[in-house]
Amino acid sequence: MEKTLVDFVKVLRTAEVKVSPAETLDAMSALPIVGYEDRTLFKNALSILLSKNPEEKEAFDACFDRFFTAEDLAALAEGGPMSNPDDSSSDDPGDAFDDEASGEQQSGGDRTQKGQGGGGGGGSRSESEAEMDAPIDESMEPSSALGQLLLQGSRSEQMVALAEAGRTAEVNQIVVFTQKGLYTRKIMEAMGLKDLQEEISELQKAGGLPRLGLATRLKRARDLLRDQVRDYVERQFMLHADEHGKQLREELLKKVKLSNLEKRNFKDVQEIVFKMAKKLIAIHSKRRKTYRRGQIDIRKTLRNNMQYDGNLFDLRWKSSKVDRPKVMCICDCSGSVSNYSRFLLMFLYSLAEIIPKVRSFAFSSDLGEVTDIFQRSSLEDAMAKTMRDYGNGSTDYGQMLMDFKRRCMDDVNNKTTIIILGDARNNYGDPKSEILREMYEKSKRVIWLNPEPRSNWTVGDAEMKKYAPCCHQTEVCNSLTHLERVVANLLKYST
Amino acid sequence: MSRTYGRVASVLIIRLPNRARLVTQIVSTSLYIARAHSHNAGHFFASTVSKHLIHDGNFHDGNFHDGIKGISLSNQRAEKLATVEAISDGLASLNYISNLHISTAVFLAHHLDKPVLIEGPPGVGKTELAKSVAALLDMECVRLQCYEGLDESKAIYEWKYGKQLLYTQVLKETLGEILEGAKGLSESVAKLHEFGDVFFSEEFLEPRPLLKALKNQDGCVLLIDEVDKSDYEFESLLLEMLSDYQLSIPEIGTIAANPVHKPLVFLTSNNTREISDALKRRCLHLYIPFPDADLETAIVHARVPEVPDQLRQQLVTFVQELRDLDLKKVPAISETIDWAKTLLLLHSETLDQDLVRQTLNVILKFQEDIEAVEAELAMLTNKATKTD
Repeated sequence: MEKTLVDFVKVLRTAEVKVSPAETLDAMSALPIVGYEDRTLFKNALSILLSKNPEEKEAFDACFDRFFTAEDLAALAEGGPMSNPDDSSSDDPGDAFDDEASGEQQSGGDRTQKGQGGGGGGGSRSESEAEMDAPIDESMEPSSALGQLLLQGSRSEQMVALAEAGRTAEVNQIVVFTQKGLYTRKIMEAMGLKDLQEEISELQKAGGLPRLGLATRLKRARDLLRDQVRDYVERQFMLHADEHGKQLREELLKKVKLSNLEKRNFKDVQEIVFKMAKKLIAIHSKRRKTYRRGQIDIRKTLRNNMQYDGNLFDLRWKSSKVDRPKVMCICDCSGSVSNYSRFLLMFLYSLAEIIPKVRSFAFSSDLGEVTDIFQRSSLEDAMAKTMRDYGNGSTDYGQMLMDFKRRCMDDVNNKTTIIILGDARNNYGDPKSEILREMYEKSKRVIWLNPEPRSNWTVGDAEMKKYAPCCHQTEVCNSLTHLERVVANLLKYST
Repeated sequence: MSRTYGRVASVLIIRLPNRARLVTQIVSTSLYIARAHSHNAGHFFASTVSKHLIHDGNFHDGNFHDGIKGISLSNQRAEKLATVEAISDGLASLNYISNLHISTAVFLAHHLDKPVLIEGPPGVGKTELAKSVAALLDMECVRLQCYEGLDESKAIYEWKYGKQLLYTQVLKETLGEILEGAKGLSESVAKLHEFGDVFFSEEFLEPRPLLKALKNQDGCVLLIDEVDKSDYEFESLLLEMLSDYQLSIPEIGTIAANPVHKPLVFLTSNNTREISDALKRRCLHLYIPFPDADLETAIVHARVPEVPDQLRQQLVTFVQELRDLDLKKVPAISETIDWAKTLLLLHSETLDQDLVRQTLNVILKFQEDIEAVEAELAMLTNKATKTD
């Protein structure tokens, strides 16, 4: 059972339920108390122990239902001490029971192993036995281990053997669906398909009615088993590979250039952005204070020491809360850069919880404030509106800077961080970098994000050479990973 | 059965004055009796007694009586917490209707000695659960309400500064007597060192809820309410308490809970912020959502039994409908119960539109919500009254 539980935890982890080793241990220690006879109790207990927020609980429920099918649990409950060495009886509450049962298991385990791994040697011996016994025995018992299991074993025994074989074939390593056939075959082999095949062909060669009858019965059972195994592999694939595939895709999307994204991927990317934002919120939601050691806060100290009769026991130091960044974000919305602006804005507005004061501006030639649109409507609508109103012009950075100066230079103070996203391709117009210089001096930080690689920053009509000296920081920013880094830095430096 | 133990034990105390003999006698006799009853109980009894003996270093008769009381107490408690069903029934008898998740969480909390972190929307009975469990087990419920700025001096302990000041003054006055006859500085300091260091001792310690819960020898329910309202620093402060049931006070040392009766800890959170992973890892996590119609009907029935069946059905349906609407704050169970009480006061038999309009402010707490619902009142009331 321990192994099964560990496997289950692995599945949970791929489904983004964070389970720590300590929690796994807790679950193990809970098993003897709860038992697995009562499926609901078992599920509830594990859910309480392993999943720690509503989303995780949902994921947990889905995983549990797929991982522990009703049959599996039944098999665990009755087949545990009989034939499966892994499902050890440490789950049994009674202490006295334990020794006996595990002893029995040991032998049971040996038997299964022999049956499975015995390969050629075991097979040939059983064949000779079969030949000797055949004429005497009327009812015809199959001789190979798998054959016996198929025709005489209970369903739960078969399930246990199947799961066991799955483990030896390492079916949980399955990644893509084309491997299904391969794993089906591997599992069949691990269960002793070879012996069974040999036996069937032996029987057919030898002829005779009872033998042929047995051969057909075995064949039918084999085909049934193959279906079952295929089913099993399918389930395992859903369990292990589905999530792997998703993770793989997410990794890819994070690294791909945002301008190369296609529309159908937007939804996925948006999800990733939210996920990243959530991570950042978790890290930065704590408001830090800096203490200035050496400066006594007289008022606080007096107030705090009233209780001690006015004796100054407990000194209080001056402290100041570190301010949240006040962000002004200026985004180029012309065709080439619009995708980047889209995701930057998406990122910033997903962080509303920790950067509450974001003012955003969009431009291609004339600058317009879009803060309101973003606050009032959903992200998608707001993006669409912004693109409609400000997109698709020829870019004019000089005009943008002039507009900015006219409209909101007064709002810029030493707490403001200004982020400008654009490729700085000004169509050979006047760059007006002196205005940017002014912004640089008035604000806390000016960050310029450029989607183009650094080598292109001075080529053609790009004006980065003039703008760069007026920025505190210039960054290449063309994928989600870059974006995340930029935003994380923004939070780190300002808090 | 527990009563028998108590009687036998006290008889033995009177008969045998010798303490060492008494202990062995009692343990063996009780084991004997217990075996006669059942194997399991005997094992349990023996282990509890021996734990008590080890725990209480100085073993005197008063303590022993406590010990016996403790055993019978924990026996009763273990009985009440033996199975998930027993917990459900026990809570139901206290008018707390639980679902399987809730009872399983309490069950595991007891058997694994782990705190429970309860999350869920406000008003679904998170705090009530802790209180009900305390009532069920007949334990004291120590409550710590969290808020921003809560720190160790309010949660764990504080020194009684006033008393300490007095102490130093008394010390100053008697210093002359203590140092009498000492020659030179080093000798006086040596004399002073001989004097016990009582300045930071338990007498000057003012225990706050967490410490109180630990020191309670009979076990208690510790309710840490709305952890999400406290600061991050406080969360880290809780970690030691939650994983090891002990607290470290720098001047005194570590104070641990009675290993037999560890406090049963419940933390509640309204999800205003994410609780740190470190804290979550140490807890069992119970999420209580809004109840479904059947459960809610059962709850209203338990809490306000006087409400006629028809009305109960109707008001529960109505509230369930409300929860599907897009509201700023959807009504919780506590509001349903309040509403049921209100309707009872108004002597109403069934819901109708006017009645609902007049009493809507009991279940909805925002003007904009009330306005939104009033527009659809006719439809909602119809739905609620039609279903039965």
